[in-house]
Amino acid sequence: MAAKDSPLKQFEIDPISNIELGGYDISFTNSSFAMLITVLVITLFLTLTVNTRSIIPSRMQLISELMYNFIAQLLSDTVGDNGKKYFPFVFSLFMFVLIGNMVGMIPYQFTFTSHIIVTFALAAVVFIGVTILGFINHGIKFFTFFYIPGVPFYMHPLLIPIEVISYLSRPISLSVRLFANMLAGHTLLKVFAGFVVSMPFFTGVFPLAFIVALTGLEILIAFLQAYVFAILTCLYINDAYHLH
Amino acid sequence: MPQLNPEFFVSQLFWLAVFFIFLFVFLWRVSLPRIATVLEKRQNKIDENLSSAKELQEQAMEIEKKINDQINKAKLETDEKIKETINALQEDVSSQLSSLDIDLEKKVSDAEKEILKSKDDQMKNINNEIINITKLTVGKITDIELSDNELNKVIETHKGNFN
Repeated sequence: MAAKDSPLKQFEIDPISNIELGGYDISFTNSSFAMLITVLVITLFLTLTVNTRSIIPSRMQLISELMYNFIAQLLSDTVGDNGKKYFPFVFSLFMFVLIGNMVGMIPYQFTFTSHIIVTFALAAVVFIGVTILGFINHGIKFFTFFYIPGVPFYMHPLLIPIEVISYLSRPISLSVRLFANMLAGHTLLKVFAGFVVSMPFFTGVFPLAFIVALTGLEILIAFLQAYVFAILTCLYINDAYHLH
Repeated sequence: MPQLNPEFFVSQLFWLAVFFIFLFVFLWRVSLPRIATVLEKRQNKIDENLSSAKELQEQAMEIEKKINDQINKAKLETDEKIKETINALQEDVSSQLSSLDIDLEKKVSDAEKEILKSKDDQMKNINNEIINITKLTVGKITDIELSDNELNKVIETHKGNFN
């Protein structure tokens, strides 16, 4: 699809081994490999650093504890006591996106979060889960979520469709936000990397310096997008408990 | 854009589901409980230390109170002792002073008595001297012999003039 030197070539999926299941192609690809690396990094890090269970933590153990407390704090700030049940899910989501983004920052590594299908699947899980949760908690009253109290009655015909659309677009905005950020960042890096090669003599150091700065920014964005994904999930869970 | 190529959608969704579900279950069942126990253990330890520190502080306060009580008691006792000694000394001094007074009075009265006695003696001698002198002078001038009794009578009547 993309040309040989296109900045988008990095997003191409290459099968590592071809697998077929029930007529579907479920090849293990470079995307799957990046996911495998991500899951291994998370599980090994969180298991090995806390292995000693020391009361006075080592630096590595402290990192795990900080991550734990970070998400626990986030969840209790946004959802409150109801949120404790969803902690493993939100934590997994945050770590998966965060480490997925970080693994993507390693040169020549594939970034699976730059694929809309992956981010959309994650966002859809959140959206469907939150909607089911809303119906479990409120039953048919969940539809009052689209009714904004304290607004003049003649505004409702306008506002209710807007609310419904904004609710339905949640998975799209959630997934596109992450996907677009990753796509744009990596494409930009690749474009400037092309300049480094193509510019004459030593002038290539300028785009190179820019790449270094941009890499720092991309790492920040990698964290920020994981954080945004987690906090929006928390807010949606909160909405499922407290309708307005 | 390779992202929109549906060729590998199924594969990506499949592996995403596999890895994410594995990650979720693993974190939920293994990693997070571990971190939670560590945090809980630490919190318990901190609470324990805090409560024991509180206990020790209470004990220290009790001890301090005891010390203060003892200091107060000791102060009262010493005050009492000082008062007692002062009183005893004062009594001693006053008794010694009074015994000295008595001694002095006695000595004074003794001395007075002696003075009176010697005065009397002197008066008697004076009488005798007067009698002798009078006899001698009267005898030389007039040849009249005066008896001692007559002279004594005259002296007795004029005694008031000597003193």
